[in-house]
Amino acid sequence: MHELLQGALSGFLIGGVYGLIALGLNVIFGTIRVINFAQGSLLMVAMFVSYWLWALFGIHPYLSPIVSVPLLFALGYVVQDRLLTPLLARERTREPMSALLLTLGLALVLDNLALLFFHADFKTVVVPIGLAKLRWEGLIISTPRLVGLCTMAVVASLLYLFFTRTDLGRAIRAVGQDRQVARLLGIDDRRIYNVAFALGSALMGIAGAILAPFYYTHPAVGTTFILKAFVICVLGGLGSMPGAALGGLIVGVIEGVVGLYTQAAAAQVVLLGLFVLLLFVRPMGLLGVERR
Amino acid sequence: MTRTETAVAWVLGLVAALGFALVPVIATWTLDDATYWLQLYIWILFFAQCASAWNIIGGFAGQYSFGHSAFLGLGAYTSSLLWLNLGLTPWLGMFVGGAVAAAAAGIVAYPCFRLRGAFFTLATIAFAEMLRVGLELSDTLFGIKIGGVSGLALPPKGSAPLIFQFGGKVGYAYAMLAILLATLGIVQLIKRSRMGYYLAAIADDEEAVASLGTSPWRVKLAALLISAFLTAIAGTFYAQLILFITPTRLISIDFSVQMVIMSVLGGLGTVLGPLYGAIVLVPVAEITRAIWGGSLQGVHLIIYGALLIATILYLPTGIEIHVRTGFKALVRRIAGLLDPAAGERTSSVPNRPVITLPEGEPLFVEADGWTRPPVLALTDVSRSFGGAVAVRELGFTVEPGEVVGLIGPNGAGKTTVFNLITGIVPVQAGRILFGDQDLRGLAPHQISRLGIARTFQIVKPFTRLSALENVMVAALPRYATHQAARAEAERCLAFVGLAHRVDAPADGLSTGERKRLELARALATRPRLLLMDEVSGGLDQQSVPGLVALMRKVKEQGISVLVIEHNLRIIGAVADRLVMLNLGERIREGEPETVLNDPHVIDIYVGGAVAVG
Repeated sequence: MHELLQGALSGFLIGGVYGLIALGLNVIFGTIRVINFAQGSLLMVAMFVSYWLWALFGIHPYLSPIVSVPLLFALGYVVQDRLLTPLLARERTREPMSALLLTLGLALVLDNLALLFFHADFKTVVVPIGLAKLRWEGLIISTPRLVGLCTMAVVASLLYLFFTRTDLGRAIRAVGQDRQVARLLGIDDRRIYNVAFALGSALMGIAGAILAPFYYTHPAVGTTFILKAFVICVLGGLGSMPGAALGGLIVGVIEGVVGLYTQAAAAQVVLLGLFVLLLFVRPMGLLGVERR
Repeated sequence: MTRTETAVAWVLGLVAALGFALVPVIATWTLDDATYWLQLYIWILFFAQCASAWNIIGGFAGQYSFGHSAFLGLGAYTSSLLWLNLGLTPWLGMFVGGAVAAAAAGIVAYPCFRLRGAFFTLATIAFAEMLRVGLELSDTLFGIKIGGVSGLALPPKGSAPLIFQFGGKVGYAYAMLAILLATLGIVQLIKRSRMGYYLAAIADDEEAVASLGTSPWRVKLAALLISAFLTAIAGTFYAQLILFITPTRLISIDFSVQMVIMSVLGGLGTVLGPLYGAIVLVPVAEITRAIWGGSLQGVHLIIYGALLIATILYLPTGIEIHVRTGFKALVRRIAGLLDPAAGERTSSVPNRPVITLPEGEPLFVEADGWTRPPVLALTDVSRSFGGAVAVRELGFTVEPGEVVGLIGPNGAGKTTVFNLITGIVPVQAGRILFGDQDLRGLAPHQISRLGIARTFQIVKPFTRLSALENVMVAALPRYATHQAARAEAERCLAFVGLAHRVDAPADGLSTGERKRLELARALATRPRLLLMDEVSGGLDQQSVPGLVALMRKVKEQGISVLVIEHNLRIIGAVADRLVMLNLGERIREGEPETVLNDPHVIDIYVGGAVAVG
């Protein structure tokens, strides 16, 4: 029983980071209706920024968002403005399916550029907090994971406030719901798309900083997380922000508990199996709504 | 094309094909390091096979799979295990492998193809990753050794063609070439068949395909099964060529992605495109490997990724069309040299005769299997989305041969009513009867086959097809032959006044012509009830009278019509009866005169401000 609790708790904590990544995907999907296959690669870029800031200048990963968030925001902005916008203009009337191909191409380029420049060895940021633990009622709580969960909670709350209380946030939601009408109301939809993609991308700057102290940095690290993020997004409901947070925690717990009994890789098989099953049972996800 | 041009095209095509097929023989004769070049040639064929298979579902149907390497793996493992354990020759085992892959594909796609959007793409990656990790973790399966992460080695038997092993590369090259030729033949057959029409239409707009009486789900599923089967065949070939398979190498994202990129670069939905893609891209990988060797991995993937992005942005149709145009130009030039007079004769070739429909001749006659429309009756129909009620306890009827107008301000629920009748949106409460047939629970294509057709508010022609082909998508489900469907489609086009535009590409039509095309398409399903959404929407004033006349003509055919129209002058002129909706409820019903002069109706149309003032 104690072991089970420990597994669930560890999973719950890492679920915070998963939720953060899924939030990024959903900010983009909720607005632009494009599933960004390069989301994991953006996370990878962020982790390398954190890593190199630490390795070269000794800057603590938790401070790296000062650099990585603006950088990823800019990267996302440019990707949307230069690559996706021209494509979406062409496919206005349909589901933007070829955008899938484009972000896949982007992921390939980013991942393999990283491989080219940083090589395939596993890099680790060594900071004291990476291995720090708290003990509570006999359970071990990994401090960096706890930081991750708290960060996710804070970021999710800030996002909520941003989307409900600010003009820009409301404009993003409006464009997500009906681009044509939003445009008629005088919203610059092209800029909104750029900002939405940039925002989803910038969130990876935070996620990367959280992961760097306790996870290896590697050119293919994005692939590991993007698959989980897809599962989470579909589980929570594609485009749903609370769904992403909730889904992240659920997936974390499932992984933690299944991982107790088998290898970590087997937990992944279970997760992906659940995903396929989910498509049969409830494709709109836990918190998703049927669209008209 | 003139006769000379046709002859030149055949000769040139055959020379090119023969030249390509003779590469292994010539290479063996002339080159010292023939094995290296033969291997490259084999990889080109192998990837051409994979990409051609992918293209059936990804290109023709527009459903992108990013996990096709799973089928490669299933094919390789099935045939290898059958040979190792039961001694079954891989020549037969590869068909079993194909069947296994097709079955797996069917299970994964079954739910996805009912959903809109990228679910299929996500599910394919998930499935491939699940299979890869699962195989890596399993040393045995039901007591049979499958080797886990270290994979399976097949014992080499030297030159043993009967068990799909060849002493040298030439044998493998020709085995793969034969398989590829068969695959290209199958692809060509699909493209030419009715399935080809449906797939091209589905890639454009599934909802419209369903509204024309074809189940997009079934067509997509069929395409995927064929695609998975043919990919698995390539998997068996890979196993026999390398004689060593591991899940990590075979079921890799790398392989999946290469199939995608080669198809996209070559030309989505073309027969030869994937082959061209492989011819261009396989050497790219080889050259980078030769230059940078093993020290810099992934350079070719950077190039692939960049090419994928560039292709989608700047060359979305791929290179196949350019190869074809270049080929045609070459043929014309050569033919011109051979027969200088040919050019003048081409211009005198008459165009296809314009089909005419004799004045007053009915489009459908009852003797021809068309029956008079029954009553459409809605009773207490309700539908909400989330918390928003779109239609509330709505009831009305459309009598046989009647034109009923559905009017109401924006958001009144008019289009939702259409979506409920046609089955695009399921009914939550209430009943919709067409004659004595209950429409609840029927899929859109089934409802279409009962004789209910629709046009869309935003016209949705299949842009990849010509006007005639657009209408044929609607006619094909009811005819055994292309010829019969074509004849019917031509009649329908003539009926709406597009006889002269039969061969025009659909995206080259004006808005007015698109509206007519959509009407012709709907008519080709032989509807007994026609639902028309926003007939005059997006049209200039000059085109309106023509469409009004056309609606009258439809009515004269004995077809019942339910029409949504904002322009009250049009609806007043055409409709026998009006049903006025507001906020999902029926608030008035009756003769156009009465309804349109009702103060309450005017109130709602002119807006609350006037009512208050």
